[in-house]
Amino acid sequence: MLKNIILFLGFTLLAVAGGVGGKVHAADELNCVLCHKHRGLSRVDENGDFRLFYINEKMFKKGPHSRLKCIDCHRDIEEIPHKPAKKVDCTVECHLEEPSSKQNFSHKPVSEILSKSIHSRYDENGNLKEMASKYPEDFPSCKDCHDNPLYRPLSFFKGEAAGISRRGLSRCRTCHTKGEFAETFYAHVTSRLQKMRSPKEIVGICAKCHGDPAFQERHDLDAVVTSYMETFHGKAVHFGSEETPDCIDCHVVSGESVHFIEGRESPTSAIAEGNIATTCRTAECHADAGENIAGFQVHVTYDKEKYPLQHYMLKFFTALMAAVLYFFVVIIFLELLRRLFPNFSFIKSSDADERGH
Amino acid sequence: MKYPRIAYRNGKRYFYRFSLVQRIQHIVLFTTVITLSLTGFPLRYYDKPWAEPLYNFMGGIEVAPWIHRIAGSILLGLFVFHTGYWIYLFFKNRIGRLKRENQLTFRNAVREFFSQEMIPNAKDGRDLIDMFKYLLYFTNRPPRYDRMSWKEKFDYFAPYWGIPILGPAGVALWFRDEITHYVPGIVLNAFYIMHTDEALLAALFLFFVHWYNVHYSPEKFPLGTVFLTGYLSESDMIHEHYAEYVKIMKEEGLEHEIKPQIH
Repeated sequence: MLKNIILFLGFTLLAVAGGVGGKVHAADELNCVLCHKHRGLSRVDENGDFRLFYINEKMFKKGPHSRLKCIDCHRDIEEIPHKPAKKVDCTVECHLEEPSSKQNFSHKPVSEILSKSIHSRYDENGNLKEMASKYPEDFPSCKDCHDNPLYRPLSFFKGEAAGISRRGLSRCRTCHTKGEFAETFYAHVTSRLQKMRSPKEIVGICAKCHGDPAFQERHDLDAVVTSYMETFHGKAVHFGSEETPDCIDCHVVSGESVHFIEGRESPTSAIAEGNIATTCRTAECHADAGENIAGFQVHVTYDKEKYPLQHYMLKFFTALMAAVLYFFVVIIFLELLRRLFPNFSFIKSSDADERGH
Repeated sequence: MKYPRIAYRNGKRYFYRFSLVQRIQHIVLFTTVITLSLTGFPLRYYDKPWAEPLYNFMGGIEVAPWIHRIAGSILLGLFVFHTGYWIYLFFKNRIGRLKRENQLTFRNAVREFFSQEMIPNAKDGRDLIDMFKYLLYFTNRPPRYDRMSWKEKFDYFAPYWGIPILGPAGVALWFRDEITHYVPGIVLNAFYIMHTDEALLAALFLFFVHWYNVHYSPEKFPLGTVFLTGYLSESDMIHEHYAEYVKIMKEEGLEHEIKPQIH
């Protein structure tokens, strides 16, 4: 009891000292940032992992979850100060209303799409896959690819960098004068007119698992990230191109949810034998290409059995390069040596000073 | 004569080697090749720390590919021009002479073809053996190269084999959409390897071996100037083309002034 009183008093003091209501976000009714605004708020958890609980309010407000209350997602928190909270379940219904259907919003449909994809832990009959029972962490759930995202709003106006366009926003504000609604809605809509993340970031997300040699071996997969990075696509993406395809562009059927990535064996997948040409020839990419573009191999590993042509071509050029360069390096070395020690010849030619032949 | 075979500057003798047209061709060649390297290799070695700054300096992913394509087109144009150039010279100088002398037979024409200065011949093989004898201290007499040593012939045929491999492959990758109407997609994979691996070989050869031979080696450092002036100094002639040196000196009536190859 005494402990509780001390805690309560301490909490009240902190609240006063922290200036309740000053710059705290409207949705934060429970004033969670009172504690979570402190940059050092952290601990080492049971697994020995360092956990940081700091919330940057400014950043948080730039994301799609800025209008939610903390407890909308962190539902097991009932008292303050609280015990260690459980991991967030993204499929719960939040108290936010989806304006078209007037129903409470949830990420459940995304989760359902994901469950039909190659990344699902269950097969098409709903049975747990053998690999998923052995290595459940190899099969991604929401938070393996997503953290709390930030909007990446597009600017339609000339000469303005991507971001919230003040000129664009001014058109919304003419009617939607109330509060921050216009800004949030502008960001909500425009950030969905492009990818939330740059192609380079997307490749990085897939590479978290697919770039790991142990993961590749477990699931009998090729080093697809390395081979992708060897293509012009990978290189252009590396140097910041936004127009060049990343993993998602080729592995998701145009018009489908990005969460619906299927394996090569599935006849409806974007990379199924008969669908590759269609995938390559979408309007934004190789629209004028022939059917044969499907024959271009993107994930070349130079494996002797799988890619014999590339394997032997690489060997040929490597051998040619080695032969030419070693030959000349030896000659240059001998020439320099000859210059350094000019007088050690076995035979001193008698026609040494002969004038011509 | 506009370009005398032997010119004198500050009391030193210089030997004429490359015409203005040839020197211009060479300048176009190395300008485009260096440009192509600077806009190409950052892609091949994208994960090296120098790649991104260099690529951004060359215009980044929006501009550098176009610089690469333009430079490549110029280089391919040079290849076509040069082929026309030597065919023109061959007909003008050699076939023309045979015609004038009324000796134009197929056999003679073939013999003339193979006696062109860039075509490898039996003497190159003997020179190579002589060179190894000299380098391995079996003799103190260096090989006596003709107008073009085997090294220079190698330098010549490196791009002359490299461009037909690199160029069409590059063009095919540029027009990848159009090309897939006619050839299987895997051909693009083959072109990709040809383009990048042959480029690496060419660049390593040019920037190390060729530049060593003409710029870095002790008697040339820091810069061999024959590619600009067209003239080679007497000491370089003696060192690199002794047989040719003796021949020119004799033909110019300077037989008594021929210097020895070995001091």
